[in-house]
Amino acid sequence: MHIVIIGNGVAGIEAALAVRAKEPDWRITLISEESDHFFSRTALMWVVTGQLSHQCIEPHERDLYERLNLQRVRARAVGLDLEKQQVRLGSGEPVSYDRLLIACGSRPRPAPWKGSELDGIGSFVTLQDCEWLEREIHGGSSHPGGPPRADEHLAGSDASSPYWRRPSVRDARGGAPTCAAVIGGGLIGIEAVEVLAHAKVPVRFFIREDWFWPMALDERESRWIADRMSSHGVEMRLGEEVASFAGKDRVEKLVTGGGEEEDTDLVVVAIGVVPNTEWLAESGLELQERGGGIVVDEHLRTSDPNVFAAGDCAAVTWFDGSRRPEQLWYTARDQGRVAGRGLLGDSVAEYNRGHWYNSAKLMDIEYTTAGLVNMNVEGEKNFFHEERGKVRSTTRIVLSGDRVVGFNMLGRRWDHSVLIRFIEEQRSLDHVLTHLNEAAFDTEFVPPLVLPSRAGELAGPAFSLNAEPVRPPAA
Amino acid sequence: MDQQGQNGLLSTFREGWRARRLSAWLIAIVLTGFYLWLYFEDREWFPVALKQMDPFAASLGLENRWYLYGLLYCVAMTGGAVYYLRRHGNSRYNRIRIGVNLFVQIVLAFTLPFVMFIFANKDFYLSYLWPLKIDYLYPDTLAKFPVYVAIYSILASLVAMPILALRVGKRWYCSWVCGCGGLANTFGDPWRHLTSTSTRSWKLEKGTVHTVMVVAVVLTVLVAVDLFAGDSMPRYHSVVGELRSLYGLIVGSILAGVIGVGLYPLLGPRVWCRNFCPMAAMLGLIQKAGRFRIKVKPDMCISCGNCTTYCEMGIDVRSYAQTNQSFTRAACVGCGACAHVCPRGVLKLENHSETRKDKKRTALPILDA
Repeated sequence: MHIVIIGNGVAGIEAALAVRAKEPDWRITLISEESDHFFSRTALMWVVTGQLSHQCIEPHERDLYERLNLQRVRARAVGLDLEKQQVRLGSGEPVSYDRLLIACGSRPRPAPWKGSELDGIGSFVTLQDCEWLEREIHGGSSHPGGPPRADEHLAGSDASSPYWRRPSVRDARGGAPTCAAVIGGGLIGIEAVEVLAHAKVPVRFFIREDWFWPMALDERESRWIADRMSSHGVEMRLGEEVASFAGKDRVEKLVTGGGEEEDTDLVVVAIGVVPNTEWLAESGLELQERGGGIVVDEHLRTSDPNVFAAGDCAAVTWFDGSRRPEQLWYTARDQGRVAGRGLLGDSVAEYNRGHWYNSAKLMDIEYTTAGLVNMNVEGEKNFFHEERGKVRSTTRIVLSGDRVVGFNMLGRRWDHSVLIRFIEEQRSLDHVLTHLNEAAFDTEFVPPLVLPSRAGELAGPAFSLNAEPVRPPAA
Repeated sequence: MDQQGQNGLLSTFREGWRARRLSAWLIAIVLTGFYLWLYFEDREWFPVALKQMDPFAASLGLENRWYLYGLLYCVAMTGGAVYYLRRHGNSRYNRIRIGVNLFVQIVLAFTLPFVMFIFANKDFYLSYLWPLKIDYLYPDTLAKFPVYVAIYSILASLVAMPILALRVGKRWYCSWVCGCGGLANTFGDPWRHLTSTSTRSWKLEKGTVHTVMVVAVVLTVLVAVDLFAGDSMPRYHSVVGELRSLYGLIVGSILAGVIGVGLYPLLGPRVWCRNFCPMAAMLGLIQKAGRFRIKVKPDMCISCGNCTTYCEMGIDVRSYAQTNQSFTRAACVGCGACAHVCPRGVLKLENHSETRKDKKRTALPILDA
C-alpha cells in the first residue's frame, strides 16, 4: 500500500502519523513544495521578530521522517490523474498512489488593486513570505539561520506559486522600510502589524470596515483593541480602502480610496486566503464553484473514493449546514487525524466540527470566543461586563431566549471547553454567571473576575443587558 | 498594570550575546574564569600574583572572598531581576516570585549570615538545605551549631522539603527560594532559550541528575557512620574524608559553579539544576507524586514552540500541549515561563485536587430551573 500525502502541513503530518501508528510497513510519501520540515504556520510572526528561530517552530524533532520512515519529496504538485492514480510533479515526474490525501492548504487571496504586482508588496502566509519579510525588515534570518534547503523547490516551480521566492527591495530602498502599510484586519494582518511595530517600522493599518472585526466584536470591544494598537504606535485607518499602488521598480506610493497619495515602501496584503487548488482544475475532482475548495463528505472523502482532502483546501460541512473551508489550525489538525483514519480504510471515522471556538492574542489582549457571537442576530440579547480594575477585561455572553449560546471574552484567559459545556448543557445566564469561574484559566495570583451572581441584580453602568449589541455611531 | 500577558514581542535570536555568537562566548569565558579564580584561589598551584580576591574582600571590610561573592551574587540577581521584570513583569506570578527570590538572597543568604558571623563567628544559610548543601546534614557540621539551628536544618531538609513539594511542587524551592535557581531566573534569564530540548538531552539529564542524587545520599550515610564508627576504623575514616572533599570539588565547585554558571551563555541557565543538582532530583521525584501539574487547555495549541523554546529546563512542553495532555515532569521548576509566553493561554500551573472538583461538577443537574 502506498499512501501519498500532498502537503507537509499540520493536516498532512497528522494524517501521516495516524497511518504510521497503525501500519508500520505501508509506504508513506509526503510531497511538499514549501519546506523540508513541518512547521507551525501560526508561529511565523515570532520568527520574523527573532523571538523564535526557524527550528523552534518545528513541532517535531528533525529526525521524525527518518524515524517513522516517511519519505519526502520536495516538489510542486501540478496535476492529478484520477484514472491512473498518479500525481504529476513540477519536474514532470509522476508519483503513483493507492490512496491520496490532498492537504495542500491555502494561498493568499490575490490583491485586486492596480500595481499589486510591484516588488515590495507581499503577503504573510507561507514560509517564503516569512523569509521575504525577514529580509525586508532585518536583512535576513536571525541566528541560527533560515530553514534548511530553502531553495530546493524552485527548480520545478515558477512565480505563480505562493512558495516562489519574492525579491526583497531592501537594497533599492536603502535599508528597512520607513513607511509600511498592512491591508486587511484579520489575524494575519494583525500579526504583520505587530511584527512591523516591533521592528519600529512606522505602519498604517488599513481596514475596510468602520470598526475592528465587525462580525465578532461589538463597538466597545473593538475600540479597546484599536486603542491598544494605536498606543503601540500603529496608525489605525479604519473604514479606509486602498485604490492602487504606484512606483517605478518597487512600490513607492499607495493611493487610498479617497484618492490621497501616500508614500509607501512596503505593503503586506492580508485580505484572506483561498484554497490552493488551481492545479486540480483539470483533474475532474469535484471542487466548489465559488472558492475552489475540494468538496468532501463527513469522512473527508472527495468525489473520488481513493482521494481524501483535509485542512484549508477542503470544503467541509459546518454546523449550520453550509459547506466551506475552515482555515484554522486546530480544525486542520483534527481533519488530518480523521483523514488518516480514512487512508487506513476506516469508514467509520467522521469529522464533526462541534461548536465554534477560537482564541487569539490581539497585540497583548487575550481573546477567547466560543459558540455563536455573530452580531445582529434577531432576538438575541447580550450580557456585557467591563472590568477596569487591576485587570482590564470584557465579558460578553450572548443569549438566545433564556439560553446562553455564545461567549466573547477579552483580557483574561478562559478554558473554552468549559464555556462550550455551558452552551451544550443549555444553561441559563444565572447559572453561567454563578459558575463562570470554573472556566477561568488565568495564571496564578491573578484576582478572579467578580460578576453579579444573578442577572436580575445587574445595576450601574458597568453592567448592561442590551436588547441589541452596541453598534458604533454612523461614520 | 496588567496582571498577565506578554510585554510585546522579543528579539531573542537577533541579539548576539544571547544567541551563542562571539559575545556570548566571551561572556562565558569571563564567567568561567571568575569561578575558577573564586574556587581555587587558595590552592597551592594557583599563581601567587593572582591571589587577590581575599585581600580585595578584606579591603572592603568583608571577612573573606565568599562574602564578596555573596555581595556580587546579590548585585547580579538584582540587575537580572530588573532585566527579567522589564520583559515579563506584567505577570503577577512573575513579580511575586522574583520578589521572593531577591528577598531570600539579600536577607537570608547574605545579610543574616553576615550578621551571624559578626556575633557568633560562624554563619548558617537558612535558604540552603540538604542535599543541595550536603554538609548541612553531616553530623559534625550540625554539632558546630546551636541545637535550634541543627533542628531547623534537619526539619527543613527532611520534613518541610517533601511536604511542600507534594503540595505545590518542587517550584517552592527551585524557583522561589534556592539561590542557584534565583540566579538562573534573574541573571541567567537572557539565555533561558539555549537549554537543549532534544530527547537526547533528556536522557542524559535523567542519568546524571539521579546519579548525583544517589551519590549524595550514600555519602551522607557514609559520613554519619563515620561519626559513630570512624574512630575504630582509621582507614574508613580517611577514605570518607577524601570522598567528602572529592564531592565538594566535583559537585560543589566544578558542576555547580564553573560549569553551572560559567556556561550560562552557551548552555542556558539551568545546566546545574537540570543535570546535576541532587536536591532538584529528589524534589522532582516527590513532585511526580504530588499535586503540581501544568494543565493543558484542550485543542487550543497552535504548536508555535514558544513554551518549549523558553523552558529553561529543556522540557518539550509543546509535545504535551499539542496532544492535550496535562502533565507533571520531574524536571519542571515551575518558573511559569511556558504559561506566560503562550500566545493562546493554553497552559496553566496549578496544584490541582481534581477528584474533589470532578465530584462537584457531576453533581450539578444538567438543566437548571
